[in-house]
Formats: sequence, structure tokens, C-alpha cells
Amino acid sequence: MKKRSRIATVTFGVLAGLSLSACTGTTGGEIVVFDAFAAGPEDAVAGQPYTFTTSRGYDVTLTRAELHVGAVYLNRSRPSSVASDTSCQLPGIYVAEVTEGMDVDLLSPDLQPFPEQGTSTTDHASTGEVWLFGGGDINDPGDATVILDVAGTAEKGGQTYPFEGEITIAHNREIPAPSDSLPGANPLCKQRIVSPIPVDLAVAEGDRLVLRVDPRGLFASAQIDLLEKASEDPPLYRFRDDGGDAPSRALYSGLRASIGTYSLAWEP
Amino acid sequence: MSKHRFAAVALSCAIIAYSSLSPAQGNVVMPTIVSQVTPSLPASVVPKDADVVLAVSLDVTGTVIEVAVLQSGGAEFDKAAMEAVRKWKFTPALRDGQPFAAKIRVPVHFVAAAPPDEGSPPPAPSTSAPAAPAKPPSGDKPPPNTPPSGNKAPSGNTAPSGNKAPSGSTAPSGNKPPSAGPDNPPPASPDTGAPGQPPSPDTGAPGEPPKGPPAPLDVSVAGKRPPPSRGASDFHVDIGALKLVPQHSASQMLQLAPSIFLTNEGGEGHAERVYLRGFDAREGQDIELSVMGVPVNESGNLHGAGFAELHFVIPELVRSLRVLEGPFDPRQGNYAVAGSADYDLGLVERGVTLKYTYGTFNTHRAVALWGPASEDVHTFGGVELQTSDGFGQNRGSKSASAMGQYEGRISDNATYRILATAYANDYRSAGLLRADDVASGRRGFLDTYDFTQGGSGTRFSLSADVDGRAGDVQFEQQVFLVQRGMRLRENFTGFLLDSQTAIQEPHGQRGDLIDLAVDEVTFGARGSAALRGELFGQRQELTVGYFARGDRATNQRARISADSDIPYKTDADYDATLGDIGLYADANLRLTRWLVVRGGARADLLTYDVLDRCAVKDVSVPSDTHPPGDASCLDQQRFGVHREPYQRTTTTGLRAMPRGSLILGPFSGFTLSLSAGTGIRSMDPRYVTQDTSAQFATIDAYEGGVSYTHDFGVLRVAAKSILFGTHVDRDLVFSESEGRNVIGGGTTRVGWIGQSRVSGDFFDTNASLTLTKSSYDDTGLLVPYVPDAVLRWDSALFHELPFEILGRRPRGTFAFGVSYIGRRALPYGQRSDTIATVDASLTLGYRNFDLGVAATNLFDDGYKQAEYNFVSDWHETGAPTLVPARHFSAGPPRQILLSLSANFGGNAP
Repeated sequence: MKKRSRIATVTFGVLAGLSLSACTGTTGGEIVVFDAFAAGPEDAVAGQPYTFTTSRGYDVTLTRAELHVGAVYLNRSRPSSVASDTSCQLPGIYVAEVTEGMDVDLLSPDLQPFPEQGTSTTDHASTGEVWLFGGGDINDPGDATVILDVAGTAEKGGQTYPFEGEITIAHNREIPAPSDSLPGANPLCKQRIVSPIPVDLAVAEGDRLVLRVDPRGLFASAQIDLLEKASEDPPLYRFRDDGGDAPSRALYSGLRASIGTYSLAWEP
Repeated sequence: MSKHRFAAVALSCAIIAYSSLSPAQGNVVMPTIVSQVTPSLPASVVPKDADVVLAVSLDVTGTVIEVAVLQSGGAEFDKAAMEAVRKWKFTPALRDGQPFAAKIRVPVHFVAAAPPDEGSPPPAPSTSAPAAPAKPPSGDKPPPNTPPSGNKAPSGNTAPSGNKAPSGSTAPSGNKPPSAGPDNPPPASPDTGAPGQPPSPDTGAPGEPPKGPPAPLDVSVAGKRPPPSRGASDFHVDIGALKLVPQHSASQMLQLAPSIFLTNEGGEGHAERVYLRGFDAREGQDIELSVMGVPVNESGNLHGAGFAELHFVIPELVRSLRVLEGPFDPRQGNYAVAGSADYDLGLVERGVTLKYTYGTFNTHRAVALWGPASEDVHTFGGVELQTSDGFGQNRGSKSASAMGQYEGRISDNATYRILATAYANDYRSAGLLRADDVASGRRGFLDTYDFTQGGSGTRFSLSADVDGRAGDVQFEQQVFLVQRGMRLRENFTGFLLDSQTAIQEPHGQRGDLIDLAVDEVTFGARGSAALRGELFGQRQELTVGYFARGDRATNQRARISADSDIPYKTDADYDATLGDIGLYADANLRLTRWLVVRGGARADLLTYDVLDRCAVKDVSVPSDTHPPGDASCLDQQRFGVHREPYQRTTTTGLRAMPRGSLILGPFSGFTLSLSAGTGIRSMDPRYVTQDTSAQFATIDAYEGGVSYTHDFGVLRVAAKSILFGTHVDRDLVFSESEGRNVIGGGTTRVGWIGQSRVSGDFFDTNASLTLTKSSYDDTGLLVPYVPDAVLRWDSALFHELPFEILGRRPRGTFAFGVSYIGRRALPYGQRSDTIATVDASLTLGYRNFDLGVAATNLFDDGYKQAEYNFVSDWHETGAPTLVPARHFSAGPPRQILLSLSANFGGNAP
């Protein structure tokens, strides 16, 4: 090869290499849009009551169980328990979100779609969150959206206890500050956010996010026979919305349990 | 024209301006006239004797690139002399056989003659050219190979423009008549008698042809000497005809140098974000900016150490730029990470110029410029007022700028300049939009989320510099004082960052609007002394210099409530006293006629004294009896132990930076260069730690390039090809939550630049292409936001039109600028859109008036000038958006501008 053409070849090669390398490469990761769904347990039958036995020995038949989910998030970090942590948002990076809420029929195993698609990066998620509120300001004590609406019967020791209950998370759930010097120690958002839900997830293109809510987790510790009787004829027991009795507090705890009630998964 | 009324027009020979001589000036040959035309006066001019003295700037090909009047003989005589001399052709000045740009003094003597007898031929003017005089011209022009007028990208001659002749060769502003003397014999001339005879001012009796041009006169001059070239990446951009390309601001002129791309998501009054050679230099943090040597970077600005806003510069007063891409010159100081840029100011069109522009978006701009015809182009005054409603929501602006400079002579060998500037602005800002909100129809492409965004600012400066020659030493000294005030309100994240802490009263997200106020005073000086001598039979030079700068800055940044527009939290409140003292030595060694080594070292000591007035913002176990509540700046530690809310930190840092260049050539117009250097970026004052040496980000840069220049007669061509690489040990990464860059990891950039400028008698075109890859050292992933490919093409056509109006031909110009930016890497593996815009202008000039129309974004491309991926929440959905999403700043749509200008009392053709 003549010297001049060799120089030209090398020069062209360097320039071509530069131009190719300049236009290739990545900053890492990806942002994907996904469909999101929520559903009751897989062993439920659509349109049919859902029957189960709680760890307290109650045979519960749910005829109505509706949950309002305000938002769902996945986070990259696995938070440590910090008593003074008052931030509504987890530290670390949020990697997935569904920001428009919906009401979920917990008696149906069918996937019920969220009204808007969600957004996710391809980062690995270690923590899930379910936000139980009506939308808007997560700390607004005036948001009295019914979060959980349940009805059914519970049987134990040959006795039947028809029950119903509605749970809101508003003024009724505010926890007083521990002292005057820490007025913001108990923000209301901490009552509305179910977190940390342990997950081990990484999204792939085309995946859909599925939130499953298991009603068994809601009633796991509820001693339904200790509920106040709301009426005699017909007999009806009602969960209180102010946590005024142990079974009501147990139902509320089950609603906010990060283990046992909620599960998140990417499904193809 | 009435030649018959002027029996003779005596033309003096070209006069070469010299500095005080040093024996070791090298073998210098003066320019000589190759061709000339006789001045032509209108018949309406009353005949009389008149002397016009012109300062004529020649490029390395001997082409006249600039003519200015030093001594007026009357407006019409000035005009005739200038028109004629512009068409003269000279041989270039030579030093050691190499051409260099020179500035010469040309007296033109008009002699009023009695009308000739009928039938007798008119006397012929003297057109004899002088023989080469014995005196070498002043100045140290480094080795040759200066490109033609325009982009003086030197591997040799570093005159930033025609007016800055080789060192020391600025024509004097006064009318000191030159005088020959025993040490400066005038050259022999066939018409002026024997050498050594003094020249005669009258070279012919009335009615008779002159006896010939007078002998060259010896004039000692001095002027600001440009620094020697550092290789292929040293771009001297002579604006010239490219000023016709629509330029929104002086900042945009940076794009005439390769690889520079500007965006502005902060509003008309906000500094542009600069991308250079794969660097996101933000608003100047990685590029050292100066105007006539006065620093523009603000060391104490919390928005970013090194923040630099150039809107105070009136674009019509910019004559040239020196853009040095890379830290290769020991004169470059702090912030010269990606490179440096210095603006050279001057007003070529003398007299009084008034210009008014009106355009879309209710844009008004008025400019008044003044430059006495008898003074140098560096003496001028200018004022600019402008206002606009802006495009889209919340983009209105108002600003005013005034600049004035006087250049005078202290002696034959020394000149001085005094520059004063004043600037004020007020503007609104639209900020950024989420792409998903625009796609869903919740927001329009040109909308804003927050109408309270915007800012204001002031800048006042005064500087003085003197330069000259004393014996073998060329010296420069400058002092400067700058006062800068800035207020900035911006909100990138919406309602995301207002976290609840236990000590605060319960609250929701109150809004992330940042309100930043900065007040800064900068004062300092710089100076140098260059000693010349001879070694290896070549001229050598050693320069030692210093730079000293002090800054006193106060910064206060607060978060503003969206509901009430009152501050609810103090983010930062501190005073900083900063110092930067640098010392450098720079050797300019010519080992052979074609091999030059330039380089040396610089050392800077940076000092920090930071008083943080809000050092404690949270306490884990507060006092029960003295709860801090919502106060931002606390006076207690854990368990309520008292402490003052402030904290002072002092530290210093010292860094030495070697830099050097190897220049070979020219060989048939080709010059090769290799350069390497180290630069630093000083740390943000907020990050300093007591008793810990101040940390720097260190930049190591290297490159190799080839330059080519040639004059083909009708064409002047300059071209460059450069391969470069840069490594930064601690780079800056943009943090949207803080609205500023924060420290990241190490990065490496490699790339290639191609640039070319071709000019002729009626056109000037400049194009460049830059390809870059920027990546993190640890992961190999791309650095986001920097463009991989930057293409820029600017062109101007200018000529008299082929018809006459009332006996005169009007002038026409057409200019355009094309920008193409490749898809930029964004976080999370994404790529931005490309940007392709065309700007154009047309002007029609007649006599003293010019009427023009300009269009920016001619094809009305709805483009996104800046795109980012980060987290924000604007309460547009039911729940907060906490995952990174695409954001953008809309580019301006098409804008049409009409302008009318008039020039009086000058010397425009």
C-alpha cells in the first residue's frame, strides 16, 4: 500500500472509530412503561365469597372486601429501621411507580388494571410500598377516603358473627407527638404508607406489575367476637374506625402489615 | 469623481510601525506594495490639501484586513483614502523568512491642484512602492502559519484580529508624527533621494505629479501583545463578516469555535450552559471566561463555583475571541478545565452608530455605539437596551448594558486602556417540563409549572491595563474590580424535597422553589514580563507572570412556599472570602526555524475562609424547653446543648500545573502540534473542611493536531484536524434536587475536531465538526448530557449590488448559521432528540443606513434545547411521581427581527 493511501486509511479508520464510538455506549439502565394490576388471592373465585380460617381459629367468609390503593412504588434500597425517620419517602432511589389509584376487589383473583400505566427503571428493587390514601397530599388529615370496606361472617365455637367495617386513615389515625420538642415525629403519611414490603424484583421489557392482596392477612389477629355489636336484629358486629377496640386495631394492623397481606411481582 | 480637480494625489509609501528595537529581533522584511489604486474623491468635494493617516492591518498574506483612520483629513478624504487602501495589496511582513501579520501606518497626502489645461492628460499619482526599509517591525510573532483573516487559529501568529498586530504593533491612537533618525534610516526610494534623507511631507508642487513617495518613517508603537499560540486548539476567532450571522448574545459567539454548544433553560437573563469537548461546563464552571482579561467566572457563587454570565457584553463590540480548548497555556488559571475564552472588544465602524431592532414576541432592542474617528478601534462607548415578552409562558426579560473603553499612549512604547462596564437585567424563566405531562396534554410545549421562576442581576466593573516595552522586556499589567449581584429563583423538582423532620411542625410538601441571592466583589491584578534574547541563532523568549484575585461573596439560598411565596427554609447562608494567587513561567523556545517548544508551569494557591451562618439544620434529640420548631438554623446540639448557629472553616490548597506544546512547521502551509497540560477546578466553598487541604478536581489533557493555511489569491483557507483526550479525577454531575453540579467520580473524554474557514473578497464561511466520547472511569458508562456530535456552519456573503441609487451602489449581505447536535446520552440509557436549527439574515445598506431582517430557527423546528432524566413531582397525578422521568427545556420557535441602523461621522464606505 502506498504511504499516502495508508495514512488515509489509518486516518479514516480512526475517524470512523471515533464516530462510531461517539454514537454508541450507554449511561446504563433503561426506563420502561408498564401495565399494572391488582387482585385478590389466586385461590379466590370471582363472584364468590372467599372463605378462610384465621390463625385465631375463626372461619371467615368474606362477602365484601374492597381496598382502595392510592399508589404503588418500588425502591432500590432496603431501609433500616430508624425510629426518628419521619420522611414519607424512603431514602434511596425509587425505581417503579403507579401513581393513579383504584379500588380493588379482594374477592376476585382476576387482574384488575390500574387506570394509568406505571413507569420503571431497570434497576433492581428491594422494597415495595403501597400508599393507602385518596390522592393529593399524603399528609392531609382531611382525606377521609374509605380505604378498606369489608363484610362477611366469622364462625368460632359454633357461634356466627356477621360483621362489617370501613377503615379510613385521616384525623382518626393521627398519633400525638411524643413531646413538644418533636411535633413532627409522627406524620400521618407513616400511617398511610405500607412499607417496607420485601421484594426482589427487576423489570424486563413487556413485564406487568401485579399487586396481590391477601385478605387473610387483614384478619390474621382479629378476635371478631370481641367486636362491638352494632345491631341485635339482625345481629351485626362492626369494626370501629377509631381503633377503639382490639379487633379493630388488629384489622388496622393487618391493613398496614408489610408482610403477609401484600405481594408484588413482575409477570410477563 | 473629479480627478481633474486634483492634479496629484500623493501616496506615501507604506510605513511600517516598529517598536523600540532590540538587537535580537530576527531577520525582518517589511511589507511592500504589490498593487494599489488611487483614491477617488467625489466632484462635490472642495479641493484642498489634506493629510489622512491610516492604520492598516495586514494578514500573513499581505492582504488588507482592516483600515482605520488615525489622523483625519476630513470625512470625504478619509473615506476616499480608506476605500482605496482597502484594495491595495502588499507583500507580507517576514521574520526569518516566515510571514506574520503586521500593522502599518499609511499616510495619504492629497494635493489640491489647478485644473489641467484642456487636452493635457491628468497627472498620474505616485504609486511607487518603497523599498524594504531597514527597520524590523515590532513585536514577537511566534512562528508563522497564521490562517487568513478570520479564524486566526495559530500555530504561529496569534493576532486575535487585524487590529492586534504583532506584539507591540498596535498603531498609536494619537497623531504622533513619526520621525526618522540616525538609527532608523528610511529606506531607499527611487523618488525620494538617497537613503538617510528625511522625508518631505509635500512630494510635489500643485499641478505636478509628486516626486514619489516619501521615505518610510520610523514610528515607535506599543500595544497589547497576544500570547503565543499553543497549537491546533488555540482558536483566534476574528468575528469579521460572521457578525452578520444572527447572534442572540455575546455568549453565542463562542460557537464560532469548534465543539461548543450552548443551551439555556434558565431564562434570557440566566447564563447559558456551555458544552465543550465532551464537558458539561454548566454555566462556566469548566471554562475560564474573561473579557479583555477581566475574569467573568464567579468563585463564590453558590449556584456553581465558576458561574459566568456574559450577557453584559454588547455583541457589536466584540471583535474577536481567543478560545483555547484544553489547559495548555500557563496563563490559564482556575476553571480552565475544558478550556478558556477571552473576548477582545473594539469598534471597527467609527463615528456614531444607532441601531433599533423590533421582532416577534414583542422584542425591542436599541443600541448606540460611539467611536471617535481619530481614535483606535479600542476606544469606544456603547449602550444597549432590550426587552422582550419571550416565547411561551413566563419568559419575558429586560436588560441594559453600557460599556466604554479608552486606549491611550503613555509613550512611543507603551499604551494603556481603561474599561468600564455596567449591566442590569430582570427576567422570567419557564424552567423545565416533564415530557409525560406534555405528551398527555396536561401541559403545552412552551408552558411552565411555576410562574415565580426568574431572576435579576447587576454587574459593574472597572479595569485598567498598561502594556509596553522597556529595553528587552515586554511588560503587561492589569488591575480589575468587579461587583456582581444576582438573584435566581428556579424550581426543577416541584414538590419533592420538603421532608418532614421530627422537630418541625407537621407539614406537607411546601414547594421546592429555590431563591438564591449572591453578592460578590472581585478584585485583582495580573501582570507579566517577557524577556527576549537569542540562542541557537533564533530568538527566544521567557515570560514570567502572576495572577492575583480576591473574592468576597455572600450567598443565601432559601426554599419558598408555593402557597404564600414566603421563605420557609434556609438551605444555605454563608460568607466566603476567597483568594487565588498564581505564578507562571512560560518559555517560547525556537530550536530551529521550524521547531518551537512552548511551555512551562503554573502554580496556584487558593485560600478559603467560609463563615457558614447556618451550620446546624437538624438535631436528633432537641431540647424540651427550647424546641427548635421550624427554625432552619439551630443554636443547639443534641439534648439541647447550646452552640452558636454559625461555623467558620478556613483552608488552603496549592497545585502546580505543567503545560507545554511542541509546534513543527510550517511545511507548505501545514503545521503540526502536540500539547499536554494539567488544569484544576477549585472546590465549591461549601465543601471545604477545616484543617483539610482544599481539594481540587484535576484535569490532565493532551492532544495532537495539524493546521493548514494558505492564500490562493481569491481564497484564503485555514483548516485544522485535532485528536484530543482529557481525564478528570473528580468530575461534576448535575443534581436536579440542588439545581447545581455536585461532585462525582473520575471521567475520560476522547474525541476529534475538524474545522475550516474559507474567506474571499465577498464571502466568509466557517465550519466545524466535533465527535466526542465521555465516559466514567469506573463503569465505562457514558457521562450524561454532553453531546457526542456538534456541527456548526456559519457563512456570510457581502457585496455591492449591481445597480445604483442616486449614483451609489447599495450593499447587500446574506448570512446564515446552521447548528446540528447529535443525540445526547441521558441517564437510564436514553438518548435525547437531535437538534438542527438554521438562523439567517439579509441586510441592505445604502450610504449611512442599513436595513436588515433576521430569522432565528428559520424553519420553526419545535426542538428541545436541553433534556434531562431525573425525579420531579408537580402534583399532576394522583400520587407523587418519584421515578426518574424525561424533562426538557423548549428551544425558541422561529423569531423574525427587523433592524435599522445608521452610522454618522465614521468612515464606512
